[in-house]
Amino acid sequence: MSDASSSILDLQQISQAYGSQLVVKDLSLTLEAGEIGCLLGASGCGKTTVLRTVAGFEPLLQGEIRIAGEIVSRPGEMLPPAKRRIGMVFQDYALFPHLSVFDNVAFGLRGTGRVELLRRTNEALELVGLYAEHKKYPHEISGGQQQRVALARAIAPRPALLLMDEPFSNLDVSLRERLSMEVRDILKENGTTSLFVTHNQHEAFAVADRIGVMAGGEILQWDSAHNLYHQPVSPQVAKFVGEGELIAGQISGRGELTTALGTLCGELNDARPVGSAVQLLVRPEDIVHDDESSLKAEVLRRSFRGASILYHLLLQNGDRVQALVPSHCDHQPGEKIGIQPDVRHLVTFPVYV
Amino acid sequence: MNSLSKQLWPWRILTVVILFLIAASLWAATKRIDYTWRWNRVPQYFAYNAETFEKIPFDGRVLIINRLGDTTSVELESESGEKLTLVVETPSLRVSEGEELFADDSIGSNSEWKAGPLTMGMLMTLWLSAVASFFGLIIGLVTGLCRVSKNPTLRSLSIFYVELIRGTPLLVQIFIFYFFLGTVLDIGRIVAGISALAIFAGAYVAEIIRAGIQSVPKGQTEAARSLGMSATQNMVHIVLPQALKRVLPPLAGQFISLIKDSSLVSVIAITDLTKSGREVITSTFATFEIWFTVALLYLLLTSVLSQLIAWVERRLAVSD
Repeated sequence: MSDASSSILDLQQISQAYGSQLVVKDLSLTLEAGEIGCLLGASGCGKTTVLRTVAGFEPLLQGEIRIAGEIVSRPGEMLPPAKRRIGMVFQDYALFPHLSVFDNVAFGLRGTGRVELLRRTNEALELVGLYAEHKKYPHEISGGQQQRVALARAIAPRPALLLMDEPFSNLDVSLRERLSMEVRDILKENGTTSLFVTHNQHEAFAVADRIGVMAGGEILQWDSAHNLYHQPVSPQVAKFVGEGELIAGQISGRGELTTALGTLCGELNDARPVGSAVQLLVRPEDIVHDDESSLKAEVLRRSFRGASILYHLLLQNGDRVQALVPSHCDHQPGEKIGIQPDVRHLVTFPVYV
Repeated sequence: MNSLSKQLWPWRILTVVILFLIAASLWAATKRIDYTWRWNRVPQYFAYNAETFEKIPFDGRVLIINRLGDTTSVELESESGEKLTLVVETPSLRVSEGEELFADDSIGSNSEWKAGPLTMGMLMTLWLSAVASFFGLIIGLVTGLCRVSKNPTLRSLSIFYVELIRGTPLLVQIFIFYFFLGTVLDIGRIVAGISALAIFAGAYVAEIIRAGIQSVPKGQTEAARSLGMSATQNMVHIVLPQALKRVLPPLAGQFISLIKDSSLVSVIAITDLTKSGREVITSTFATFEIWFTVALLYLLLTSVLSQLIAWVERRLAVSD
């Protein structure tokens, strides 16, 4: 746990329930100033509930939430959203349809002086590159522009913490990728500490510094994108983040593992004694297609992805792996193809019998 | 577009034919009962030319007649030497210079156009409806806000009011306002009538406003709250502007109903359009003509209002 005084957001063992249904269990996380955090999980995992609780829209059952050192939520006590110094970008943007783009962005600046309001509104609009559209109404601009207006509106009052609920889910794929990178640049340029939730790992990877993989109301792993992918702490995280399969293996020496793919050497994250049975995570890029290889696998399914084809393969012992192969190597289900393992991180998990 | 209008014209003709048949059968039915239509009696009840006779108040004689074009001034002198000048319209002049007159002899007359009972009744209906709509809107707005309030007492009271008003007939409410409240609180029939209409309309407006407020997505409130707005600021700046725009069509319907419902206050002897119609019938016996005319006048009032609201709606639709 980091020092609570320097962190902008600090969730201490929070729990949250709808009726008797516990939706967030004993969850803790902290965000330092300027950091972008993300809660990643399937729908219904409780990620949006966490965000809404931080925003002050939902009461807290247990635990404590601090924003910039100040306690904003604890059981039976709730600072209203208006007093939390947060900004929020909603999934459907919730722009005010009866106000122009300028008035939308200026809305959170009511009460600051006229000159200051003008300056900061224009600043926010310039930051998101929408100054030219300031006279239009929300229905007159595109979805991507609406998204950026929502962002400008949320950051114009300079909140201590920016919250974003599935900010890119209403955009089409190409726009989503471009905007997610743009948003990261804007937040980093502005130094805005942010927490967002998404079910899309590409968004999480593109935008966040730290990602919490959530399932069943708990954070399974709170880590950087690289570590989530390469050093998942549990099979659940491994399966949720990226693709791949778990195959059976046995520790056969220091950094050595015997599997249906042969004996693999590499960095082993496991300190169990030699002879222990483990599960090994094999990512699609860990399997290289090689016609010369003596190791054969049967093609079960294939999914064409343009530049590459993802093959689902059956090994001789019944284990399954996936292989990402350049798409000119065209094989049909039922064919046997030669493969070569290229596993560098030996990520293993214990076998539960 | 062109082919569509080609397909439509036979239907238009059919519509006209059906309407014509209905009118013709009504006409045939009235023929059978031998009713004499006297439409010529109707216009005078909209406006009429009132003639007032100028009379000499004493015994005396005409001194000088001075023609000033359309009007003529007549100087009169009494036997005791008292002088008086009267002005009458030139064509109506009945005396000549030097003529001897007795008291109350008429010299001539002046005429003036006056609004007839139907016009006055329509103005009364318009006035009643406008005032009742205004207060009905205010009552409805306040009640609607109470209805969505967090305070349980405000909520229960507003539900009680709405159920009470919606569950009883307007005619009975008008009688209660006039006979009971009118007596207890010593208020006149106009105030009683307007209050009954306003409170009746208020209950329906409240439900419309409530539905409007609840139709504004919750996200709008959350967005405003997260931007530092209090609950009241959120209601005034975000929710109500959007809600009122949405409820304009049902509100218009409510006010159009109010114009029609205002005919019920004729039972407490307020001379609105309906009561004027009844009064005119007693002096003309042109029962059919007058009721048709009264209906047409109500139709005029309601269609002007609905056109007005449609115009406002188009203006507001700009930010959709």
